[in-house]
Amino acid sequence: MEPDDNKMSLAVCLRRFLLVLVSGAIFILTVLYWNQGVIKTQAYNDALEKPRHGHKDGAAFAIPIEKTWTYKCENDRCIRLPFNPNANGNGKGQKRISFISCSMTCGDINIWPHPTIKSLLSSHTLRFTTDDVQLNLDTPHREVHKLLQVAFDWFVKDLRQIQRLDISNSASMPASGESVIRRSQLDGENQRSSIFGYTFSLEKQAGDVDSLEIKISVQKSGDINFNMDNDESYQLKTTLEKRRLLVHITAHSYFGARHGLSTLQQIIWYDDEDHLLHTYAKSVISDAPKFRYRGLMLDTSRHFFSVESIKRTISAMGLAKLNRFHWHLTDAQSFPYISRYYPEMAEYGAYSESETYTEQDVREITEFAKIYGVQVIPEIDAPAHAGNGWDWGPKRGLGELALCINQQPWSFYCGEPPCGQLNPKNNHTYLILQRLYEELLQLTGPTTDFFHLGGDEVNLDCWAQYFNDTDLRGLWCDFMLQTMARLKLANGGQVPKYLAVWSSALTNTKCLPNSQFTVQVWSGTWQENHNLLDNGYNVIFSHVDAWYLDCGFGSWRATGDAACSPYRTWQNIYKHRPWERMRLDKKRRKQILGGEACMWTEQVDEHQLDNRLWPRTGGLAERLWSDPNDDHDFDIVPPEVFRRISIFRNRLVELGIKAEALFPKYCAQNPGECI
Amino acid sequence: MPDQTSYKHCYHWGAWSALCLTAAAAAITAFAPVAYANDSSETSSNRISGRSKWLCSSTDICTSEDEQVPGVQYLSHQFESQRDCRLSCGKYGSIWPMPTGDECSLSHERVHFDPWKVRFNVVAPNDVTTQFLHETNRLFVSNLLKECTRNCTLASSKEVLVKATVQSNSLVLDWTTDESYMMVVRSTDKVTFVDIKAPTVYGARHAFETLSNLVTGSITNGLLLVSAARITDRPVFPHRGVLLDTSRNFLPLRYIRSTIDAMAASKLNVLHWHVVDTHSFPLEITRVPEMQRFGAYSTAQTYSRADAVNLVKYARLRGIRVLIEIDGPSHAGNGWQWGPSAGLGNISVCLNQSPWRKYCVQPPCGQLNPINDHMYAVLKEIFEDIAELGAPEETIHMGGDEVFLPCWNNTKEITDVMVARGYDLGVLSFLRLWSQFHQRNLDAWDDINQRMFPNNKEPKPVILWSSHLTDPKTIEEFLPKERFIIQTWVSAADSLNRELLQRGYRILISTKDAWYLDHGFWGSTNYYNWKTVYGNALPSGARKDQVLGGEVCMWSEYVDQNSLEARIWPRAGAAAERLWSNPKSSALLAQRRFYRYRERLLARGIHADAVTPHWCVLHEGNCL
Repeated sequence: MEPDDNKMSLAVCLRRFLLVLVSGAIFILTVLYWNQGVIKTQAYNDALEKPRHGHKDGAAFAIPIEKTWTYKCENDRCIRLPFNPNANGNGKGQKRISFISCSMTCGDINIWPHPTIKSLLSSHTLRFTTDDVQLNLDTPHREVHKLLQVAFDWFVKDLRQIQRLDISNSASMPASGESVIRRSQLDGENQRSSIFGYTFSLEKQAGDVDSLEIKISVQKSGDINFNMDNDESYQLKTTLEKRRLLVHITAHSYFGARHGLSTLQQIIWYDDEDHLLHTYAKSVISDAPKFRYRGLMLDTSRHFFSVESIKRTISAMGLAKLNRFHWHLTDAQSFPYISRYYPEMAEYGAYSESETYTEQDVREITEFAKIYGVQVIPEIDAPAHAGNGWDWGPKRGLGELALCINQQPWSFYCGEPPCGQLNPKNNHTYLILQRLYEELLQLTGPTTDFFHLGGDEVNLDCWAQYFNDTDLRGLWCDFMLQTMARLKLANGGQVPKYLAVWSSALTNTKCLPNSQFTVQVWSGTWQENHNLLDNGYNVIFSHVDAWYLDCGFGSWRATGDAACSPYRTWQNIYKHRPWERMRLDKKRRKQILGGEACMWTEQVDEHQLDNRLWPRTGGLAERLWSDPNDDHDFDIVPPEVFRRISIFRNRLVELGIKAEALFPKYCAQNPGECI
Repeated sequence: MPDQTSYKHCYHWGAWSALCLTAAAAAITAFAPVAYANDSSETSSNRISGRSKWLCSSTDICTSEDEQVPGVQYLSHQFESQRDCRLSCGKYGSIWPMPTGDECSLSHERVHFDPWKVRFNVVAPNDVTTQFLHETNRLFVSNLLKECTRNCTLASSKEVLVKATVQSNSLVLDWTTDESYMMVVRSTDKVTFVDIKAPTVYGARHAFETLSNLVTGSITNGLLLVSAARITDRPVFPHRGVLLDTSRNFLPLRYIRSTIDAMAASKLNVLHWHVVDTHSFPLEITRVPEMQRFGAYSTAQTYSRADAVNLVKYARLRGIRVLIEIDGPSHAGNGWQWGPSAGLGNISVCLNQSPWRKYCVQPPCGQLNPINDHMYAVLKEIFEDIAELGAPEETIHMGGDEVFLPCWNNTKEITDVMVARGYDLGVLSFLRLWSQFHQRNLDAWDDINQRMFPNNKEPKPVILWSSHLTDPKTIEEFLPKERFIIQTWVSAADSLNRELLQRGYRILISTKDAWYLDHGFWGSTNYYNWKTVYGNALPSGARKDQVLGGEVCMWSEYVDQNSLEARIWPRAGAAAERLWSNPKSSALLAQRRFYRYRERLLARGIHADAVTPHWCVLHEGNCL
C-alpha cells in the first residue's frame, strides 16, 4: 500500500502547487471584479478569506484603553472630556486622567457592596506593581494561616490579570477566548511595546512605593468551618511610612479577613495611562454584613455545568461577599453526581458520561469555595424532583425507589416534565438518601449548622396512584422527618441547627418542628411569609418575583405559558426588601437569616451562565450585605448605585466573567447622564 | 419491514430507485449489524454510555430503543445515536431551515467517512466563481470537522465526491439574486456522489450548508452522511437579515464575524450593520476622520476601513450582504461634535443635552442640523466611504427613525431659517424639512453611485425606518415609492404594513413584538422566545416582490460581547426558517430540528442560548 500512498501524496502536492498558482491569478481577477467601473481608494488585494489583524481587535482586553478621553471630577461625578495631548502646543501641559482613576477618587467609596460601618479614603493615591505586594500573616491559627496564604495567592493572580500581565502560569482560571489572545499577544516584549504603543518593561517599574505590605491579623477565632455565627466583620486600614505602604486587615475570623481581601481588591485599580496599579495612600474601612446568609443557588440538573464554570461563579461570589453556594445538585431531569456508594445513580441518571461530577470534583469545588469565603451546600431534592437516576431499584432487587418516573401526561403528576417522586414506603430509598448525605457531608465538610433537604412541590396525585393513605400530606411530612433522622445518622448523630426546606404546602402546616427547620420561601402571599415567622421558623428569602434569575425567557415547553416572566432586572433584585415591606418587629427580624438568588437552568447552560448571573447577583449581594435604605419609587435606583455597580461589573469582566452589559457604554463613560 | 406501510413521508424514490438500491447495498455492507448485547438490566446506563441504538418512530420521534413506547410504530432501521437518527427521521431530517422545493427525500442509510477525504469538483463559468466555490469548499470542510464527536480520521473511509455546478458568472448579491439549488446524494459500494446544481454561487453555498445538515459525528471516529438524498430548495424571501447595533455598545470584530458565521449556518443573507448611533461612532470614515476621533468610545473600540472592507468580504463569502446604516437625522450625535471648532457651525444639535427627556427619546441626545449645508457635505463624504466599502450593487440604509421634533423646534437657528423660508412651525413643516433631508441625501447617494458605478443601470433604492414620515396618509407626499424601501418596526397587529403595501411600497419587516431581540430586559417589554419568533407571520403584497423579507434586530443597549451570542442565537435561526421557508406549520413541528440546529451552532463555537432542559432534547416528545 505504501508506494501507492506516496504517489498519491505527490499528486496531491502537485495539485496544491497548481492551486496556489491559480489562486494567485484569480486574486487579480477578483480585484478586477471588485473594482469594475471604478478605481477605489483601497486595493482589495489581500486574501479573500482571512481578515487582517493589523488593526487590534477591541476584544484583546475586556476593558480597553481609552486614550481619547480624559475625566474631570465635578460634584462627585466624573465628566468625560475629549483628550488632545497637543492642545497646548508642546503636549506637555495636559495629563490624561483615566476613567477608573477619576471614578475611584470622585465621590463616595466605589466598592461593591458598600461598607456598612465606616469608610474614609484619602484623595491621595499611590502607584505600585504586583511585584511590590508582600503578605504578612499575623495569626496564631495554623488553618487560618494556610487558607489566607492561598487566598492571597489568588488575590495576586487577580491583580496580575488586572494589571494585564502574563497570566499563563496560573492556569486555574478558565481560559476564555480573551485570555488566550492576551497570552499570545503578550509573548515577547517587542510585540508588547508595539501593541500598546508605549515602552513597557518586565523589569520593576517606577511606582510611588518600595513595597506594599498586606498584613492580615486574625487573633480571636481559629474556626474555619462555616456557621451562622461566623464573625464576618473586618477592618481595613492603609498607612504610608516613607515609601512603604501598609494595608492592615484585622478580623476576628478567617471569614472576615477573607472579605477584607475582597475589599482590598476593589480599592486597587489599574490605570491605563501609566499602566500601574493604584490605591489610596490612606484609608480606614470598617465593615460587617447585615445578613448572615447571602446565597446563590445553581441547578446542575436541568443542564450540566462544568467544574470550571462553577468555580468561576464562586470566585465572583467572593468578590461580591456572597457566602453560600447552594448547589441544587440533582433533580428529576438528571443525576450528575457519581456516588461512592451508588454509582448507579449517575449511571442511570446523568445526561452522559462526561456530564458528571466525581467526588473529587465536589471536594475541589468545596476547597476552592472556602478560599473565597463561600460555603458549598449540596441539595439532593426529595421527595419530589427526583426521578432519573432513581430508576434502577427493581433491577437491583431494591424495589421501586421512585415513582411516576417520566410518567405521562406529566401535568397530572408533577410540575414540569419529566415526573418523578421518591417512594416514601421503601426503606431503601431512605437508606440511599442517608448514604448520599453521608458522602456529601464528607466532601463538603461536617456541618453543625446548615443543610438543605429540598422538600418542595410534592405532587400528591403521583403517590395517590400507589397508596391508599387518606393523609398523603402526612406521608410527605413523615418523609421529611425521616430524612431528618437519616441526616442525623449521616452527620455523626447531630442534626444541623438550620435544616432548610423549600416553602410549600407542608410549611404552611406546623408539622415540621420550627426548632429545627428553616424555610426557604420562594412563593406564596405576604400573609404566608408572615405566618412562617409567626410559627417560629427561621427564613431565607428567595422570592420568585424578585430573586429568580431564570425568569423572563418564555415557556420552554412546547405548550403552556411561561412560568415566571418577566425578567428580573438588577434593579428589581436590588430593590427587593421583604423585611421592610413586612414591617417586622425585632424578634421576627432575627428569624431572617438572609436571602438567596436562584438560578434554575431549564433555559440556561454553561454558555450563558455568566451573563445570566452577573451583574444581577451583585444586586442581591449589596442588598444582603449593606441593605442600604431605599425611599425611592418602585423602580428607581439612585445614580450613586449605578456608578458603583458599573465599576463592579467592569471588575467582573476584567477577571474573565462574562457579565451582561448594564447599559450603553456611553452611560458608563458619562455617569449620571442616562438616568 | 412491517412498519413501512404505515410510513407516510414524501419519499420520491421512483425515478432513482435503482440508484437507491445500490446505495442501500453499500450502506448495508458498511454497517453489518453489530451484535448487540441485549442485557435488559443495563438498558438505562446503555443510553448514558451511548451503547444503545436509536429508533425513528412513525411520528418522527427519535427514541432510545430501551425507551420505546408501546403502541408506537418504529422504522426497522437502527441508528447508532440520536443525532444519527435525527439525520433522516422526519421529512426534513435535521435540515434547518426546511427546504421549500417539491423534492425532499432522505435515506435512512449512512455513509461512514472521513472529512479530510472528501474531494471536490467545481464547474463554474469563470475564475471568480470558481475561486468562490473553492473557498466555499474549504469553509464546508472546516464546518464538518467541528461535527466530529471523536477523532475525524477514519482509516477505511468511503470516498465522497462532491461536484458543484454553477451557471452564472456573476457574484452580484442583491434582492434579485437566485439563491436556489438542487442537490442529489447517491452512493455506490465504493463512492458517494454529491451533485449540487445552482444558478449562482450563493445557491451553491446554501447547498453546502444543507449538505452539512446531512452529516453528523459518528460515535466512533469519522462522520456519518445520509447515503442518498434529493433536495430542491429556494428561499421565499430575498432579504433575510440580522440587525447588529455596534454603537450603544461596541462589538469587537470577532463577535461580528461569529454572528456572520451563525447567519451563514442559517442561510440568512443580510447583515444590517447599524454601525453608528448617537452613543458612539466607531467606524472610520477616511474622508472625515473626525467622525471616529470624536465619536468612538476609545481608540481600541473602532472599525478601521480595512476592518470594514474585510468584513464585507468575509460576509460575502458566506452568502451574506453587509448593509450599512448611517442613521439620520436622528440617532446621530457623538462623532458630530466637531462642527463649530472646524468652522462648519453646528452640524448636529441638542448634542448630549440634559435633561435628555426634553430633547430626545433616549440619552444621549443628538440630531443632525437640517439647515446646515456643511452637514450635507459631511454626510455625502460618509456616503462616499460607504459606497466604496461595499459591493457595487450594494445600497445603504439611511435610518430616518424617531426624529424628535421638539429638538429642532427648540433650536433657534433652525426655526429662524424655517420662518425665513416661510414655513410655519407646525408638525407638517417639520415633516417637510425632514423629508427634504432624506431627498437631498438620496440625491447625494445617486450622484456618488453614478460616478463610482457607471455600469449600474438603475439608481439604487435606499432604506428608511418607518416613522411619522411614513404615515400611510402622507407618505406619498414625502417619500417616492420607487426610491424608498420602508423597514417597518411596528407590532404585528399594526395596520402599517398592509397600508404601505396597498400604496405600492416595498417593505422590510422587523416586527417589534416578535423580532426585537433586545426586548424583555428593559421597561415593560417582553422577551420573545424562539417559538414566538418562528410564529411571526409576514404579510404579502399585491406584487410578489413587495415584501422583500425581514430582519431580527439586536439593539445593543443591554448587550455587549459578553451576552451577544446568547441573545441572538438560536432565536434568529427561528426567523431564518420563517424567511427562508415561510412554513405553514407551527414551531411545535419544527422543535426537534430546531434543537439539533442549536447543537450545530454550539459545535461551530456559537454560544447559543439553551431553550429547554437537556432532558427534553434527549427525550423527544416528552415535554409537550
